[in-house]
Amino acid sequence: MFDQNGLSLDQAPPISVVFRFFFSGALFGILAGILIFFYRTDIFDASSIAAVTFTHTLTLGVMLSIMFAALFQMLPVIAGVTLTSPVKKANWVQYPFVAGVISLLLAFNLSTPWLFGLASLLLGASLLPIAFIMLKNLLQLPNHSSSSKGMLTALLSLVILIFLALYMTGTLAGALEGAYYTQIKEAHYSFGLFGWIALLIISISFQVIEMFYVTPAYPVLVSRYLPMTLLLLLIISTLIGLFYPDIWGVSNILLALLLSGYALLTLKRLTQKKRPLTDATVWFWRLGLSSLLVSMLSMVLTPFMDNMFIKTLSYIFFASFALSIVFAMFYKIVPFLTWFHLNSQGYFTAPMMHEVIHPKTAKKHLYIHLATIVTFVLSVFIPPFIFVAGFLTIVSFTWMTYQIIHAHKLYKHTQETGEKFDMGNM
Amino acid sequence: MIISQYMTKEHRGCDTKFAEAEQAAASGDWAKAEEAFLAFSNDTLKHFKKEEEELFPAFEAQTGSSEGPTQVMRYEHEQVKGLIGKLAGALESQDKDAYLSLCESMMILLQQHNMKEEQMLYAMCDRVLPPETKESTLEKMKKVEL
Repeated sequence: MFDQNGLSLDQAPPISVVFRFFFSGALFGILAGILIFFYRTDIFDASSIAAVTFTHTLTLGVMLSIMFAALFQMLPVIAGVTLTSPVKKANWVQYPFVAGVISLLLAFNLSTPWLFGLASLLLGASLLPIAFIMLKNLLQLPNHSSSSKGMLTALLSLVILIFLALYMTGTLAGALEGAYYTQIKEAHYSFGLFGWIALLIISISFQVIEMFYVTPAYPVLVSRYLPMTLLLLLIISTLIGLFYPDIWGVSNILLALLLSGYALLTLKRLTQKKRPLTDATVWFWRLGLSSLLVSMLSMVLTPFMDNMFIKTLSYIFFASFALSIVFAMFYKIVPFLTWFHLNSQGYFTAPMMHEVIHPKTAKKHLYIHLATIVTFVLSVFIPPFIFVAGFLTIVSFTWMTYQIIHAHKLYKHTQETGEKFDMGNM
Repeated sequence: MIISQYMTKEHRGCDTKFAEAEQAAASGDWAKAEEAFLAFSNDTLKHFKKEEEELFPAFEAQTGSSEGPTQVMRYEHEQVKGLIGKLAGALESQDKDAYLSLCESMMILLQQHNMKEEQMLYAMCDRVLPPETKESTLEKMKKVEL
């Protein structure tokens, strides 16, 4: 008699693996909100310590945590990659990672060389092995989908991104001479935003837009070649940029064109969805993709306009792009996984998705998130609004934290009190 | 790629019927919802039968393994059947919130199942089955009735 539960759960990692990364991501989000009260509009000055700290709280603390949740969950579904002992792997990643992010944030603010060394050690040791394991699994796949290929490019970007970061922290720690520091910094920034974050979102979207909303598939030309084109563009620009830094002016225009094309195409796909309901997650996607368009437009305009505001808008809208998509995925993944795991374990009383997180709850978060973005934009022109933006950032991520705790409690409660279908009687 | 093409087309057909039923239920047209849901469940169950009675045995005979991917797919079919039963219950009692909530679970469950089949299992079938077996399996699948 085969174990029916085992068969299904073999494929999906335990729910705690995904929830824990969402949880740490949300807590870093709250930290980002708190930091705003200290740094205020200094976060808009790209060269300031405030901006560097705030950006890394969002990109490393929030985005990377949550993207690991997505990778652990999506790799088995999208790419048929089943990671062995996922809980153990998640532990090995998460604790040193969280300690590494905190060390790095402290290092920026205290300018202490040994803290940069510690951050390099912790982040390198936690991120590189798991990225290599995931890459190895993906490379061994006999059949590739556009998503699995895309994830491969995103993970390659992550590895390059980490090495570039290690060069920089190594320099700041005094271990390296850092002759190419400025050039590497530019490449690190581009690989982080356009390589890792955008590429992973793009790759996952090739599957989930079709899967969640039942839309026509992406054109093969786009799904097959866009991720690789973006990655090659970044690699070539980095190599040339070592000697001719001005190359990034051209590269940014090309990146903006490619990413805007992707955003427009995905927005069109969402208008072609066969499913009738437009829930909050669809609006999160629309908001995210529109933000990407505004961000790319601002980025292209920046060199032509003698105005720092436009550059700041490009940052704000890129953050809005990434976070909106994160929330869109979050409100599908958390309710589905809670139901799916309990249902697979044979609980009759497994709560339905709407009972885990009701669509109205997601919609309320959409309004909070929208208000957060609006206040951030307003604060560029009217600085005191930054306090409202900070407050709303805290509210937004506290909302998210609460949803994870609520789902987890419901999961545990069902396991403790729920009526279970006895597989032994089959 | 004849297996992939034929089976993927069936998946899309089921998606369309499912979306029709969901749309009708959302707008409170229960008669239409019932009609579309019935078409969806019949098509889906017939598709499962084609796989379980023809395609999977052919694949298992060729690869010499009845464990592994086909076993996982069979288990997921059972999960989908369970949800079809629950959806039918919600439809009968015209419980819109429950129906739409179950639709959400069904859609994700079904789509991730379809993805595994389309990207892995069907592709493997097309690769490992000899051309004549593919042809004959396809013909047999076309004749399957509920």
